[in-house]
Amino acid sequence: MNCSRVQDSFIDYQDGALPADESASLRAHLASCPTCQREWAALQEMTRRLDALPVAEPGPRLRENFYAMLETHQREADAPSPFALARGRLDRFFAALLPAQPALQFAFALALLLGGLFAGRHYLAQPAAVPDDGAKAELAALKAQVNSMGQLVTYSLLQQQSTSDRLKTVLTAMDLKSPDRKVLTDLVGALAFDPSINVRLSAVEALAQHADDSLVRAGVLSALPRERAPLVQVAMIELLTDARDRSAAPVFEKLSRDEATDRNVRDAARRALAVLRLPVEPASVPSATLRPSVKPALT
Amino acid sequence: MILAHVTQFRVPSRPAAASLPVAVEATSDHELMIAVRAGEIRRLGELFERYHKPLYGFFVRLTNQPSVGEDLVQIVFYRILKYRHTYRDEGKFSAWIYHLARKVAADHFRKHAATPTPTDPADLVEQPAAEPQPSEQAATAEDVVLLRSALARLPLEHREVLVLSRLQHLEHKEIAKLLDCSVGAVKVRAHRALKELREVYFKIRKEKAA
Repeated sequence: MNCSRVQDSFIDYQDGALPADESASLRAHLASCPTCQREWAALQEMTRRLDALPVAEPGPRLRENFYAMLETHQREADAPSPFALARGRLDRFFAALLPAQPALQFAFALALLLGGLFAGRHYLAQPAAVPDDGAKAELAALKAQVNSMGQLVTYSLLQQQSTSDRLKTVLTAMDLKSPDRKVLTDLVGALAFDPSINVRLSAVEALAQHADDSLVRAGVLSALPRERAPLVQVAMIELLTDARDRSAAPVFEKLSRDEATDRNVRDAARRALAVLRLPVEPASVPSATLRPSVKPALT
Repeated sequence: MILAHVTQFRVPSRPAAASLPVAVEATSDHELMIAVRAGEIRRLGELFERYHKPLYGFFVRLTNQPSVGEDLVQIVFYRILKYRHTYRDEGKFSAWIYHLARKVAADHFRKHAATPTPTDPADLVEQPAAEPQPSEQAATAEDVVLLRSALARLPLEHREVLVLSRLQHLEHKEIAKLLDCSVGAVKVRAHRALKELREVYFKIRKEKAA
């Protein structure tokens, strides 16, 4: 055993926790080593002093305070909380309400289940009904409404462009030799809905080249009663007259008699009616006479 | 013979302190605490009678302030009541109560970090000198004051291990559990603390003599 190991074992030796053989070798080392003897003596001395330190006694206040605190806690633990009281009352209420015997409880549960099933059948039995004819018609109307709504959205999108942009679009369409249905529909839409007179006028001009198309004529004819600008009205009447569209006659008739309509428009409608009633080819009718001499300014 | 002289001085490691609870009691600490946990709050009184003096000694030695010691003991028992539901079935009561006591002491030191533990022996004069132990190595009053101030000058961790092992008479195994370290580390720390205490003790004595 060397000194440091011996000194490390001092605490255990002091406690009597060192095995007998180690204790023996420690004693043997101590007998021959003055350094460790001093060390051991010092350790023993300090331990003795420490152990001799008088035990501090607490004052009576500590005990009084403790027992006061204990009583408070015991009372708190004994007194049931208001929550527990309420719960107990609630439990008793339900206990009185419900049967206590297991068999009765089972019967009660079964009755509840059957009652629920019956109620479910009674109130929820009607499955989704097969749509009848009325509903079908309603559905179709709804569909049409949605479709027209889509068109309106397209037109309003068209209207979001500036007037000159829309005009440009219409003029481009005019240059097309054989425009497809879509372009013609767009033109008719512009004629019917565009807020600018110039755009509508250009649309009429563009459509005039395709007046032999029944779709174009029908479109112009349906737009005519709603048109309020005399210039455009006259242009439309001219278009329909040139195409010799007899189905336009009732509309012309109505226009020519409407006091609210512009005088020039009424005249044009009257003349167009006369042209339509002619049995001969309309090629000789000078369309230029119908056209107003003054062009409107660009809006 | 020096050796014979030295070895005969071997101090019994477990002096039967009057304040220590005697192991053979009708009800063990553990059973009492289980009863307290179950709602028999008043049974904590028995545990108080067994432990308040050792705890008080622990706090007084650790803080060197007798008045603070009483307050801290009260706090420990308050926490026992407050956290009684956390006491575990396989727990050991003495370990638990010292665990709480260490936390209370740590809280105290944290709160009063600005005011160091008094090291001036004059601070301790107000404490009534306890009756000297009826042993042949009875310390003189002056010796006691010296030792107390030496103890107060030790770093807290050394002071703590000395208080726990030499004054509270806890086993090294228990202290290791309490300090969360190995038994070997506790012994090394205890040995070093004793050596340091001796150095400080003689230094103070020298200063006083000068």
